[in-house]
Formats: sequence, structure tokens, C-alpha cells
Amino acid sequence: MKEYTLLLFLALCSAKSLTGPSYFTLKNMMLQDMEDDDYDDDDDDNSLFPTTEPILPLIPFDLFPTCPFGCQCYVRVVHCSDLGLTSVPRNIPPDTRMIDLQNNKIKEVKENDLRGLTSLYALALNNNKIYKIHPKAFEPTKRLRRLYLSHNQLTEIPTNLPRTLAELRIHANKVKKIPKDVFKGMKSLHVLEMSANPLNNDGIEPGAFEGVNIYHIRIAEAKLTSIPKGLPSSLLELHLDDNKITGIELEDFNRYKDLQRLGLGNNKIKEVENGSFANIPSIREIHLEKNKLKKVPPGLPELKYLQVVFLHSNHIAKLGVNDFCPTGRRKKKALYSGISLFNNPVKYWEVQPSTFRCILARNSVQLGNFLK
Amino acid sequence: MKRLALLCVLLLPACLAKPFHQQGLFDFMLEDEGSADMASTDDPVMSGFGPVCPFRCQCHLRVVQCSDLGLEKVPKDLPPDTTLLDLQNNKITEIKEGDFKNLKNLHALILVNNKISKISPLAFAPLKKLERLYLSKNSLKELPENMPKSLQEIRAHENEISKLRKAVFNGLNQVIVLELGTNPIKSSGIENGAFQGMKRLSYIRIADTNITSIPKGLPPSLTELHLDGNKISKIDAESLSGLTNLAKLGLSFNSISSVENGSLNNVPHLRELHLNNNELVRVPSGLGDHKYIQVVYLHNNKIASIGINDFCPLGYNTKKASYSGVSLFSNPVQYWEIQPSAFRCIHERSAVQIGNYK
Repeated sequence: MKEYTLLLFLALCSAKSLTGPSYFTLKNMMLQDMEDDDYDDDDDDNSLFPTTEPILPLIPFDLFPTCPFGCQCYVRVVHCSDLGLTSVPRNIPPDTRMIDLQNNKIKEVKENDLRGLTSLYALALNNNKIYKIHPKAFEPTKRLRRLYLSHNQLTEIPTNLPRTLAELRIHANKVKKIPKDVFKGMKSLHVLEMSANPLNNDGIEPGAFEGVNIYHIRIAEAKLTSIPKGLPSSLLELHLDDNKITGIELEDFNRYKDLQRLGLGNNKIKEVENGSFANIPSIREIHLEKNKLKKVPPGLPELKYLQVVFLHSNHIAKLGVNDFCPTGRRKKKALYSGISLFNNPVKYWEVQPSTFRCILARNSVQLGNFLK
Repeated sequence: MKRLALLCVLLLPACLAKPFHQQGLFDFMLEDEGSADMASTDDPVMSGFGPVCPFRCQCHLRVVQCSDLGLEKVPKDLPPDTTLLDLQNNKITEIKEGDFKNLKNLHALILVNNKISKISPLAFAPLKKLERLYLSKNSLKELPENMPKSLQEIRAHENEISKLRKAVFNGLNQVIVLELGTNPIKSSGIENGAFQGMKRLSYIRIADTNITSIPKGLPPSLTELHLDGNKISKIDAESLSGLTNLAKLGLSFNSISSVENGSLNNVPHLRELHLNNNELVRVPSGLGDHKYIQVVYLHNNKIASIGINDFCPLGYNTKKASYSGVSLFSNPVQYWEIQPSAFRCIHERSAVQIGNYK
């Protein structure tokens, strides 16, 4: 009987303790529905280009009239980049899945420009001179997943974007605000890149992200002075580098509980309020380089999964012995793999060795004390 | 004794939480600080972990999207199963030898709109499956050496390329599309037979350059030749000889004043010919007898008169395809000066644009 009890204990003891969900497992799982499974017959990896098999048809191009002159049309991909086009070409084959119109001189997307393109999956219009998109322009493209509008002259996010959209890139335009209903019903939107726009905190209207599950948002090189409050709570990655953010306050992250990667480099952050990071317990990577921090932000030892912290190029003059590593019995579930502290006033000889007691790999800490 | 043994076995499975260890995000800093004596970059790979996505990039289903990040170098430690790497709109100045190591499955490499002026001759060596290489909008003075032989598409629009050497295209016999527009290429800079070995080459575009004539020795596999916006002054029949598969020929916005007799005979399967915005004084000869030509743009030239056999054959109509678009507007010739029989073989009235419609 006792033997059996012991065997039972043996079994129980073999249960491994819980490790945090792998960052990539979680992300890939959630991003899986970004791609339409029953839909990509020849496009297994869902990249912008048909890549699984080399395209070697007998006649490479759709010679017969329906390929716009100068463009290359093959296997439902239309390449019309670098042609100096001033408008969207008219005779695009109707079964096209991907159109590359980047690097042209298109000024406007008109109502009927995308007419009949019901299979369109990706549209690249970056690097044009687009200042105007007709509100009904995207009506025909009911399967559009990726829309690239970066480097144009748009002053607002186009209205009536397809609800199937998974990725929107509108970097380097002139967008000043994100209005309340602009993403309405867009349940598949997962990635939003809108850096290099003159957007300030007031420009993000309340409710702008209501009902939307974006996982990756980047609004860098803009005019933000604090962490925007109304972003979706599904956020896994938030990148706000190169803004004018002056501080991190307690309530800043209280809706972003799943955040895993946070980029705040090159801002003007002086201080991180006590307890701010307690709202992001799953965080793995924090970039706070090139700010105006005078000390290491509080709360790092409590972040069980934190592995990378960039604090270089700040005004940190002193390190506390418990700035990084937990005291007492608390243990991190993941070890630090990279802490950068170089380019700060603090000198390596002023740091007590026990400050880095929980960091096992010697090269994980960069104090800037090594010279060629 | 038994109990002791069991007890020992009990103690064996130490309930460990494996440490969670991300790799390699740090090497850039080692360089920044001149810490040359730091640990080597050959860290042991943590098994069962998975690829690392460079910070701020998005990695999903083997696509690595790192555009618009102001990157100055190709990020390190890209997932080895990556099939598409998008690095456009960054500030990369140089592609070094190890930048793409381990990317054995890469199909498409997008380096458009960076500041690349230098590419190491060994940079592309690991990319044995690369099919598309996009180098447009950079500062390259010439095409890189040793491009992968698996390449199907090369785009290097808008660089500073002035020469096309045969050696650079050696072995690239899978390339189908070659886009080299907006470069300071001179006709003398195109080495004789530069494209000869490219047996699958179907589309070439060398537009908005300084070339003064159609390059000679183009491969017979060509179906599309686009030479718009150059300084070509005349079309000689020899340049087009052998191009039996040519279907589309774009020569608009040049200074072409004459088309040598017999030129069009060398391209018997031509369907579309753009000669608008040139200096032609008459319609090129050979259109009447040409069997497949359907679209001819002749607008914005100096054509002063049109002969009745310029477009249509004498006698019995031998054409296998009928014209669907002929443009003649913005020429000195006036519509009332043209004899209607000049368009006798054109069945669709709207197919001819003489500029008399407003």
C-alpha cells in the first residue's frame, strides 16, 4: 500500500511547473485567422507573392489584351510598379489576387478603379502621390487582406475599408486623426502601422478601436505626448518609438494586459510611475533607450517573463541592488537575456555585483565598460 | 529496501521550469560599444523554442515584415524558415557577407527604397532558393555579383547603374523579368551579348535611361521589350532580328525619327507597338503586312500624311488579327486629309483615334 502511495507521489511530482506560453505560439495562434484557410490553394505561406512553386508556365504572361501595358501579369499577380502611372490601370485581370502598384505617380483612387477585383487579397499602393480615395473605392474588394498605403499624401484613413482587412500600413502620410468608426466591423484587423504621421493624442478619437482586435500597433515618429489610452485591449505589441512621450503613468497600461513587447525608445520619458508595469505581467521585452530616465523603472523584478530591457542612453546615475532581480523567494520564470545600460552616467564600478545576481549569462548585461 | 529505491526514484524528476532564453537580440549592441571581446555570436540554439522576430518587425507564416523602421542594417537572427523578407523603406547602406546566412528558404527579398551602395559579392551565396530580388530605389552603381541562379525576377529600378556587364548575368537562366528603368545607363555601357545566356528572359524594361539605340543581341525568348523614355533616335531592323516571340514593344517618349524598312518583319508576332511621343514623320512601314499587330500608338509625333496602304494590306486581307487600337491624334495630319480607305481593314470605328472626337 505504501509503495503505491509512493508511486502516486512520483507521478504527481513529475508534472512540470507551468512555463509561460511561448510568445510565438500565442502570437501565431492568434494571427492564424489573419489568413483565410479555405482560400489559399496555391499560396500556402500566405506571403504576398506566389512562392511555393516556381512559376514556369509555357507562356509567362497573360499576353492577350488584359494585362496593362508595361505591367507583368502572371498567376493572378499583377506587377505594375515603377511605371510612372498616374492612375490605376483599367484592364487588370478580374481574378487578380495581388496588385503591386508601388512607386508610381497615382494621385487618386477613384470609385471604379478596383471594380470587379473580387479576388484581390493584397494591394500595394505605397510610394505614390495619393491624396484622395473615393469612399466607395473598396466596395468590390470584399476579400482584401493587406492594404499598403505608405508614403502617400493621405490626410485621413480611408473610409469603408474592407472588413476582411488584416493588415493596414499607412506609414508616412499626413493623417492627423483616427476617427471613431474608421475601423468599425473590421474584426480581422491585426496589424496597424501608421508611423510618421502628424498624429497627436487628441487625434485618436474615443472609441476608434472599439470592437477591433489589433495585435500589433506601431505609431512611431508622431506627435504623441503620452501613451494613448483608447487602443485595443488585445494588443500584444505596442511600438511608440520616436514620439514626445514624457512619462509613463500608473493607468497607462491598465487595458493592455496581454502586452508582450513594448517599444518606447527615443522619447522624452523622465519617469515611470510606481506600479505602471504591474498592469503588463506578460511583458517580455521593454525598450526604453534614448529617454530621460534618472533611474531604472520600478517593477522590473516582478515581471516574471521579462527578458530584454533596453535602458541605454538615458540619465541613469545609480543602480539599486533590487532594480532587476527579485528579493526573497520570488522567482522569475524567464531569465534576462539582454539588459543594456551603456551610455548612462552610472559607472560599472559603482554597481554592486549582486544587482545582477539573477542574470546568468555574462554577456546579457551591457554596461559599456568594454572598450576595443 | 524497496521503499528506499522508490524514494530515490521519487526524488529524481526534479520539477524544473526550463529557463526561457531568447537568443541573439543583442549582437548589434556589442558592435556599437566596440566590445570586441564579448561572447561569440555562436550561441547554442535553444531547441524547441522557435524563431526570433526582430523587434518592431512582424513575423508570421514565414513572412518577415520589417519595412518602415529606419533600420540601418539587415537585422540579425532572422527566422531560418523565412520565405519572404520585406526590408523596404529603411536606411540600409550596405549588404554584408553574413547578412542573409541561414536563409535557405528565402524566395523573395525586398530591399526597395534603402540607401544601399554596396553589396558584398558573397552576400547572396546562402540564398539558394531566391526567386525574386527587388533592389529598386537604392544607390547601386552596378548590379550585384553572384546573384542566385534560381532568380526569376530582378528589379533594380531607380539606382545609379551605368553599366550592364555580361558577367553579372552569367548563369541567370531562370530569370523571366528584368526591370532596370531610371538608371544612367548608356548604350556603350551595355556589354555586347550581356543578356545572351538568359534563356527564359521574357520581359525587359530599360526605360528612362541614356541609351540611344535598341540594345543588340537580345535573347529570342523575349515577349516584351520596354524602352520608353530613352534617347533612341532610330529603329534599325537588326536590333529586332531574332525576336520572333516579341508580343509587346514599348518605345514611347524617345526621339525616334525613322523606322528602318523591314524592322517590323523581324517581329512577326508583335501585338502591341507604342511609338507615341517621338519624332516620326510617317507611319512605320510594314504594318499593313503584319499579321498580328492590334494596337499601334502613334500619337504625339510629326506625321504629316498617311498613305492608304500604311495600315492595311494591298488586296486580300491577310491579317490574322484586327486592329483594336490605333492612335494618331496630336500629329500634323488632319483627319479630313486622310482617305477613308486607309482604315479599310479596321472594323471597329472606335479603334482609330484621330483626334477629331472631343
